[in-house]
Amino acid sequence: MYDLLIKNGKVVDGSGLPAYRADVAVQDGRIVRIGHIKDGARRVVDAAGKVVAPGFIDPHTHFDAQLLWDGFAKPALEHGVTTIVPGNCSLSLAPLREEHRMKLVGMFNQIEEMPLKAFKEGVVWDWESFAGYIARIRKGLAINVAPLVGHSVLRLWVMRQAAMERPATQGEVAEMQSLLRECLDAGAIGLSTSYVDMDERLQPVPSRYADAAEIDALASVLGEYGRMLQIVPEFYDADLTIARLDQLAELSLRHNIPTTFSPLFVNADNLEAVNRVMRRVDEQFARGARVWPQVQTRPIDISFCFAVPSLLFIRLPSWYRIMRFGTPDEVIAAFREPDSRARLIAEGAAYTGLWPALTLRHVKTEANRTLVGKTLGEIAQLRGVTPIEAMIDLSIEEDLDAHFLSAAMGHNIDAEVGRLLAHPRVHIGASDGGAHILSFSTYGDTGYLLGHFVRDLKMMSLEAAVKKVTSDTASIWGIPDRGLLQPNYVADIVVFDPVLIDRGVEDYVGDVPGDGSRYVRDSRGVDQVFVGGALAWSAGGGYQDAHGEVLPGEILAGIAA
Amino acid sequence: MNVAELSRVRRSIVPSPGDTWVEIARRELPDTPEAEAVSSLQSWNLHVFMRAATQMAGQPNPILPSDVIFVEPPLVSR
Repeated sequence: MYDLLIKNGKVVDGSGLPAYRADVAVQDGRIVRIGHIKDGARRVVDAAGKVVAPGFIDPHTHFDAQLLWDGFAKPALEHGVTTIVPGNCSLSLAPLREEHRMKLVGMFNQIEEMPLKAFKEGVVWDWESFAGYIARIRKGLAINVAPLVGHSVLRLWVMRQAAMERPATQGEVAEMQSLLRECLDAGAIGLSTSYVDMDERLQPVPSRYADAAEIDALASVLGEYGRMLQIVPEFYDADLTIARLDQLAELSLRHNIPTTFSPLFVNADNLEAVNRVMRRVDEQFARGARVWPQVQTRPIDISFCFAVPSLLFIRLPSWYRIMRFGTPDEVIAAFREPDSRARLIAEGAAYTGLWPALTLRHVKTEANRTLVGKTLGEIAQLRGVTPIEAMIDLSIEEDLDAHFLSAAMGHNIDAEVGRLLAHPRVHIGASDGGAHILSFSTYGDTGYLLGHFVRDLKMMSLEAAVKKVTSDTASIWGIPDRGLLQPNYVADIVVFDPVLIDRGVEDYVGDVPGDGSRYVRDSRGVDQVFVGGALAWSAGGGYQDAHGEVLPGEILAGIAA
Repeated sequence: MNVAELSRVRRSIVPSPGDTWVEIARRELPDTPEAEAVSSLQSWNLHVFMRAATQMAGQPNPILPSDVIFVEPPLVSR
């Protein structure tokens, strides 16, 4: 009698080999047999017509804070993601001295758009060490977590205020090395750093004050463990990106470590730049270096309302100022008052192409409901005003609860994105799950991959795409026993309908501590998600309440990759 | 493939401790008049030079220890 038997499914085992029809048996959290199985099981799932695949692994997330109040990392799990990597971009929530908590919250707020109130009301700060943080999130974990430790945080711990002022001394570097070892021993899967991010004072984050010797010393510690180095390069410039990936290649070769940089976007105006970056990646791989560019599957789009700051307005100082620092009443007053209104309209005039293309996606009043789905250009025509005036007026009428969508702002040329995603040396990732929650939904990238690029556009085979987000990711990161459907592998399994698999429609929901809201997406076509052989989510039953039982999520420290 | 076989990319350095534009100019562009060398470096590294106007409050030298500094113009523009 098995614990779980998934029968009659089309097994896409994560290896990239052709799918085959088989049953999958699970015992004590591990796959024990695949084939034609007649024995019984305590739970039997009929997967006829469905695909049975390894759970997906998302290598670029910022769920660090959300895991403190939501061990499912909703809605990642319902998209079939069974393992997440938080702690990217030089930021993790540990190790963290008590005196630096608000500093780090400020950085998460500025860089990842995590609301301050969520930290204040959703987090019980009862750890300082990395081991303490791991113990804290492990209590309610339903998803597997392979956490990175952030370089900026290591610097803050060792150098305090000086972390934001100067390079480290040799003694401080040695302290950081010891601290990194502690973190790796406690379960960190690697180190993250950033060359672009700004803190809450709009000053460079601490990792940017590190010199090459410091990075090399920390990479040497990663080499002792064979663990990952993740960086955010100056991704807006090909020459800078190439210089960074050359630095990574040297570190990879010198210390025998895997490295990854994210993001890499492709647009109409940077096709040759991306080609140059990929040619360099190919050359460095040919030398034996491991420098994995991460590419996201979804196009860039930004949703916003005027109740909260939005990335979209960061180049419009008057707009951004009122969104960032104004109360809702002050924002409405700025929209109503003639001089202020005129100033805002004048400042926005430079973006003539932007405003008419924005789509009204959500309102709360009945009066404006018929306008939902129309562009501001269309609404402006109906009202006899300009699109920017229509946006302001709607925001006043809706008490700032009018939401607008700027769709397909980039990374949306299917032929080019699909070509990149299929490249053997591209690592599919960069979802940013758990971050930017007030600007766009960072969930459903795997559904978009399997629905849009595999089923609809036929740019990749199903087997190749599943391999990319399962066994490839596990191999790149050194995550043992996951990413394949094979006997003795951990039973992280997703059952989905290949005809229906997709990401759902973006929605704005109020499930963030401190009465906060965020943009999310539900999944389409995913039937059941198992973590360590336990049902974690199903289309019929939603997230599985453990009823006091131990949840199946684990901390995955990784092995030498 | 060994390092000598890598295709040529735009030449860059990482700053030495305390580097300023002038020090980098003297070291990397010794045959160019200093003022011209500094001006060239700044124009090739707008990602650093422009930082001075908007960031690094209170710090006169905008060069960060982690910066990539290009010591020649973009290859494609030649």
